[in-house]
Amino acid sequence: MLHSEPSLGEGIFSRFPMHPLICLNAAIACLLLFTSPIARADTPPKKISLSDFPAAAVEEVVVPVPSEIFAVLDKLGNPNWKGQLRDGKTRTPEDRARIALLLGNVIAEGFVAVEAEDAERVKELGRQVLTLADGINVRKSVIARSKSITDKADQRDWRGVRAEFDGALQDVRGAMQELNDQDLSQLVSLGGWLRGTEVLTSIVDGGFSKDGTELLHQPELVNYFDRCIGSMGGRLRKNPLVASIRDVLRKIGPIVSEGGDKITPEQVKSIHDLTHGVNQQIVEGNTGN
Amino acid sequence: MNFFPSLCLNFGSRKLKNRFALVALALAAWSPCLVHATVDDALSFAYEAALPYYKQGFSIRKDAWGGDLGVREKKAVSSQLFKGNNYWFLMATDLKGATLSVHIYDDNGNLVDAESWQKGRFAGARVSPKATGTFFAIVQILKSPEDRTPWALVYGYK
Repeated sequence: MLHSEPSLGEGIFSRFPMHPLICLNAAIACLLLFTSPIARADTPPKKISLSDFPAAAVEEVVVPVPSEIFAVLDKLGNPNWKGQLRDGKTRTPEDRARIALLLGNVIAEGFVAVEAEDAERVKELGRQVLTLADGINVRKSVIARSKSITDKADQRDWRGVRAEFDGALQDVRGAMQELNDQDLSQLVSLGGWLRGTEVLTSIVDGGFSKDGTELLHQPELVNYFDRCIGSMGGRLRKNPLVASIRDVLRKIGPIVSEGGDKITPEQVKSIHDLTHGVNQQIVEGNTGN
Repeated sequence: MNFFPSLCLNFGSRKLKNRFALVALALAAWSPCLVHATVDDALSFAYEAALPYYKQGFSIRKDAWGGDLGVREKKAVSSQLFKGNNYWFLMATDLKGATLSVHIYDDNGNLVDAESWQKGRFAGARVSPKATGTFFAIVQILKSPEDRTPWALVYGYK
């Protein structure tokens, strides 16, 4: 096993008679081992200065997949997930940015349906993923996922369905990046995050668990999404829906920069209202502009 | 994707049959979005390092991070981690004779490894965040026969 503890020196000195020369050799070996660069470097510093890392030496923040958050929620209790489910079927919009956002939104909704153990809704959402993927030319990448979602929902294999929704998100993003649609790929992640945050704040606001507030402490992630929009092409950046989302991110940013335990119920409600509003725009296409 | 043929070369031994299974995992989990072709082989080794944790119930992320570094050069990979989850970060290189390390720090620069190990071309670190927030996986090449060493990093959670 790679991760097992190394058994350095185990039994060596107790099994063999100790010739003085062997002792000397062993001592030299130990000295070499514990003064070698490898041994020294394997004891990491207890504290480092992150400012020693220039921007080029820092990879952009790793966006969590929905199931990372739902894995925590599983441990916190059992809220009314059915009450969080969104009604209705979405139509595929013409605006590609909105399709990408809606696709992420629908995938996140899939996780809610899994938590609610609503097999029919899960299957419906699986089909919507396929339809929306078709709208941005990445249908092929999720055909198998869509089928697996249906099969696993029929078997009530909820863990399996979650894995398929996670996989669908990754596959769609991967396919978009292969098509050099990096910006749209980011919008898929953003759409998922917005719907996930809306649901999370609704649960926390409903008194499900104070520990849930902790999950909102995501300052770098919010800044990252803001930077992503900032680096998008002019046309996409000026898309009314995308601009509206950036506005929301900039309002949420200062709130989630607080430590999780410092976020007040009013702030949770505020994040909920902001994300709910923008998610409605994603679903209904009304940006109010 | 070039790691599949390279890992099939010595398929005769039991060890490499295991490797084949690992490749299946890697293929299932591989995502092209953030990984360059030069680190494909390193990535297959990173998934190899992740396999024992996968068997322990950790979900291994399909995204991976990688590149190449000089000896003693460090890189930080920032991650949003959640209190309540356990995470394993696994790093590897395909370069024989190279050794590397990965350790996790919080956003104040404090070491937060719950445990870590380093074995040749593989390294791993586990973290159980005490608070939700941004964390940094600091990756480093400790020793290498080459100027630049390809590396890949994956992580799993449960």
